[in-house]
Amino acid sequence: MAVAAPAFFQPQPLLSLLAREAPTLVVACGMTLVIIGREIDISVGSQFAVCGVCAGLLAADKWPLALVLPASVALGAALGAINGMLVAGLRLPSIVVTLATMVTWREGLRWLRQGEFVNLPDGVQWFGLSQRTGQWVLIAAALTLLVALGLALRNISFGRFIYATGSDAEAARLAGLRPQRVKFLTFLFMGALVGLAAMMNIVQSPQVDPKSGTGLELKTIAAVVVGGVAISGGRGNLWGVFAGFLLLICISPALTFLHIEAYWEKAIQGAIILLAVVADGLRARKEQR
Amino acid sequence: MSKLKTLLFRHETLLFFVVVAEWIYFDTVGRNFGTLDSIFDVVRHSVEIGLLALAMTPIILTGGIDLSLGSLLGLCAILFGKLWRDAGLTPLMAGCCTLGIGALAGGLNASLITWLRLPPLIVTLGTYSLFRGLAEAITHGVDTFTNFPASFLFLGQERWMGLPTQAPVFILVAIGIWLLVHRTIHGRSFRAIGFSPEGARYAGLPVERRIAFIYVLAGVIAALAAIIYTARLGQAKADAGTGYELYAITAVVLGGTSIFGGIGSVTGTLLGIAAIAVLNDGLIHARQPREVAGMLTGLLLILALSAPVVPQLWSHLRARRERKPA
Repeated sequence: MAVAAPAFFQPQPLLSLLAREAPTLVVACGMTLVIIGREIDISVGSQFAVCGVCAGLLAADKWPLALVLPASVALGAALGAINGMLVAGLRLPSIVVTLATMVTWREGLRWLRQGEFVNLPDGVQWFGLSQRTGQWVLIAAALTLLVALGLALRNISFGRFIYATGSDAEAARLAGLRPQRVKFLTFLFMGALVGLAAMMNIVQSPQVDPKSGTGLELKTIAAVVVGGVAISGGRGNLWGVFAGFLLLICISPALTFLHIEAYWEKAIQGAIILLAVVADGLRARKEQR
Repeated sequence: MSKLKTLLFRHETLLFFVVVAEWIYFDTVGRNFGTLDSIFDVVRHSVEIGLLALAMTPIILTGGIDLSLGSLLGLCAILFGKLWRDAGLTPLMAGCCTLGIGALAGGLNASLITWLRLPPLIVTLGTYSLFRGLAEAITHGVDTFTNFPASFLFLGQERWMGLPTQAPVFILVAIGIWLLVHRTIHGRSFRAIGFSPEGARYAGLPVERRIAFIYVLAGVIAALAAIIYTARLGQAKADAGTGYELYAITAVVLGGTSIFGGIGSVTGTLLGIAAIAVLNDGLIHARQPREVAGMLTGLLLILALSAPVVPQLWSHLRARRERKPA
């Protein structure tokens, strides 16, 4: 990359890129916890849009930002709790549950809002700071969260519970844990992070796009899988996910610099997911022998 | 008497009554709902999703899932248009090639799932993105294929022996899948694999080969659905079939097939397709916005999933409460 296009490493576009993708990193952190717990959540994109639009409406209704942020997080947590109840409470497969909630939220939002953009009042964009400071705030927030969660996952008992649940739920239960509760909490936490990420997204532009978050689930799952987290649960850490995230967000600017059309982005994303799982499969096969 | 009772409380029978109830409701609320033309409309609109649901049934029976079918439909539609317009093939030849491409794409899923023992969920999530991405890359997101000859559009827009032309195709595939699942050794082995892949392997079943077969078959059927889709709309676009996999999974699960594998029937899937098709078209006739139909399908899927689980959980909880000393 550095050889093919040195202009890629200019600081200003790089800063904007990182700030733009900071919400994705936050969601990817949550997704990591869910996947380590041996579940998956593909409704994050729709949750993201719902939280974004609701937060935008509240902000437009003259709520102070200090209240809009917790409201958005709480709404996300509530949406996550619904997934969590269906998955952990009723023991339904998370892929199908979240496929259903993904469509339900997305279509519900479109029905109620008819695809309208929400105009935000002054002072919301970049939290009323200058663009540069705002970008730094977002990046710093995302990185702090990443480091805190990465350490917590390794050192706090609940973090270890998630690994235990993901590697063998039955063994975890026999060891005295409550795997279903752990799963419920990971979904709840996932939702809260989505609410936070939605907030981090809407402060970057003067309007809220109700279509935002489309494809977010694929992007984050790709980052998590590329980052070496086993889709079968119980293995992986956030540092790998961060590397996977950096690799993936470089695709689209890299395409521009290498003069490849942007339409290839989705295909390349799919190919990277497949390569990552193939590598994982080959490694597992080698270990078996 | 008891025989009648079991028949009455079978999942399929209940679902049949749901379809009838939907029908009666929309007949009273909607305009021109019960007419022959509108019935044919329902059939036309639901053939593609129905085909995908039929392809999905054996897959879910084995405890797998294929999220890539909707994207594959889009990719096949594009490649069909490309072969016909740019490579100058006749629609028949292009169609045959498209079926081959479908088989190849299904083969990609199948080989990753069986050779490397990767979970179908994540493999098909990857190909879901890959196939759609390829379709967009090939068309640059804007190119559409139109002006197909009338002889080809006949397949999607005209009638043959009084029926919409695609209906006999659908019936043939449905009969084929029904025979495969319910009347062959293959079908029995799908259920055995769904119950316990390890057990099936110890019982001497060629588990990998059986699984590979149904994913390739699903690819071919998705290609067929793509051809019919193109013929019905008269155009092929990169976003063809977006979200169809959800409808297909909903139809299968609604039809009583367990998402964990092992239990299910093709009859149930057919009724599930009918339930969704009538709901979708009925809402349009009742002048409700399209989004409501999508939302209701999602809710319906959650309900269909939880319906068999809730009574189990209830009795489980009650048993636990009774076990506790007062």
